[in-house]
Amino acid sequence: MQASRARLFKEYKEVQREKAVDPDIQLVCDDSNIFKWTALIKGPTETPYEGGVFQLAFSVPEQYPLQPPQVRFLTKIFHPNVHFKTGEICLDILKNAWSPAWTLQSVCRAIIALMAHPEPDSPLNCDSGNLLRSGDIRGFQSMARMYTRLAASPKKG
Amino acid sequence: MVSDSIKVSIPSAPKDFGKKKRANRSAKLKQCKLDVRREQWLSQVKNKGSKEKPNGLGVSPCENERKNDMENLETRRIGRGNEEEKENGSIYHEFDSDSPSHSPTGSSVLSCTDVGTNFTGSSSSSSSSSGGCCSGSITEEEEEADDDCLDDWEAIADALAANDDSKEGSQNNNSCPVSESSPKFEPSVRSDSISPELEPSVRSDSISNNLDSSLEDLKQECPKTAPPRVAHGNSRAWRPDDAFRPQSLPNLSKQRSFPNTQRHYGQGGLPWHCSNPVNVPSCCPICCEELDVTDSSFLPCTCGFRLCLFCYNRILHVEDGRCPGCRKNYEGNAEEAELSVSGGSLTFRLSRSYSMIARGYDFYG
Repeated sequence: MQASRARLFKEYKEVQREKAVDPDIQLVCDDSNIFKWTALIKGPTETPYEGGVFQLAFSVPEQYPLQPPQVRFLTKIFHPNVHFKTGEICLDILKNAWSPAWTLQSVCRAIIALMAHPEPDSPLNCDSGNLLRSGDIRGFQSMARMYTRLAASPKKG
Repeated sequence: MVSDSIKVSIPSAPKDFGKKKRANRSAKLKQCKLDVRREQWLSQVKNKGSKEKPNGLGVSPCENERKNDMENLETRRIGRGNEEEKENGSIYHEFDSDSPSHSPTGSSVLSCTDVGTNFTGSSSSSSSSSGGCCSGSITEEEEEADDDCLDDWEAIADALAANDDSKEGSQNNNSCPVSESSPKFEPSVRSDSISPELEPSVRSDSISNNLDSSLEDLKQECPKTAPPRVAHGNSRAWRPDDAFRPQSLPNLSKQRSFPNTQRHYGQGGLPWHCSNPVNVPSCCPICCEELDVTDSSFLPCTCGFRLCLFCYNRILHVEDGRCPGCRKNYEGNAEEAELSVSGGSLTFRLSRSYSMIARGYDFYG
């Protein structure tokens, strides 16, 4: 579909132009396929994900932007709404609340917001959700911080 | 008499039409309204006739020009008016509402690009109106014209200013600079030498007849367009070096540049410009295709989110039918829009967009 291509191309230019505006998000298009994107997002501050850099993989459907892009974490993350093994994200705007007015950039922002505000009532990671639901904030944060250090932090030395 | 001047005017019009495809029809429409305005002025001058006549030769070339313009207008209207209005019905209405802000910019841009002179824009409504005429159809005459008509122009300007004093007090300030800075308006003055073959004696008779008849025609065709608008003191064109000149002016052929100019004029504190708070994007946010005039005037949802008709139709029939901007259903919003027609400040836009929705159903349903 030409519409999705044109739209993605415009988003690509937008991303190039506004690189400095949102330093927490690096959105990169695949060299050979404009329907494949990867993003690097920084873990939001004052969360257990702070200091980590998480990689996201975007797979954009032909019907984009009328259909939402498929996004998943490539970096392991301990989060109630992210599947620990597959990286699948449970986020309404990626499902039924998607709007064609959204962009890949805004999806990245939404995911950052989700990291800061987990929703334990619809968990993909049951361990994480149970920790939060049982009120063990400290346990959850410890686990999440550990996985951030293990998987999302730049290797030292 | 009429046939003579039609011959005079015809060569210029088709040439223009072919030469600049992008010199959009909107310019012609604007010019038509400006011409109406000028005819009204001229009729006022003629009412004062005996006073103005002593200028004799000074006045008459300008009158000739006016008459030519007027007849250009007529022939053009006869030739293309109907199909224009059929094709661009929405455009026409669009400009009915928007033209006061567009017309000065349109005239200045056109005369800059077509004539190639350093036409530095006009600082008064009267001069901008003549600028519109010169840009419309008289380009070839301008090149061979001389600059000796300045005095005549000043005389006319004074006469017009005198009339404006009596009629529109607000224009008084604008009319004065005409005589002072008249060298800037050379392009508009040059067109005075259009019809040298017309005899002055013939003129005086036929002008009045033609004027009266055509004026009535024009008034019928363009009811109550020009006068209330020109009453706004802000209707001046942009100078090329004006810092406030909207960036989008050179793209005048694209209709989408109009909202920008409109927004700019809105800063001037004219309340009825501000009544359109929704900024029209230049392209559809969904498919990134450029919004044409129909799309730009298409406001499917009360949240103000605009998109092209194609995407709207697809969302409505293939997808879930919810507005991308607010995720409400389009169907319900259409009714809301209709309801707010009765009481809202957005009355005009909404009523138009609602009719557009209905039309959209006709197209695609």
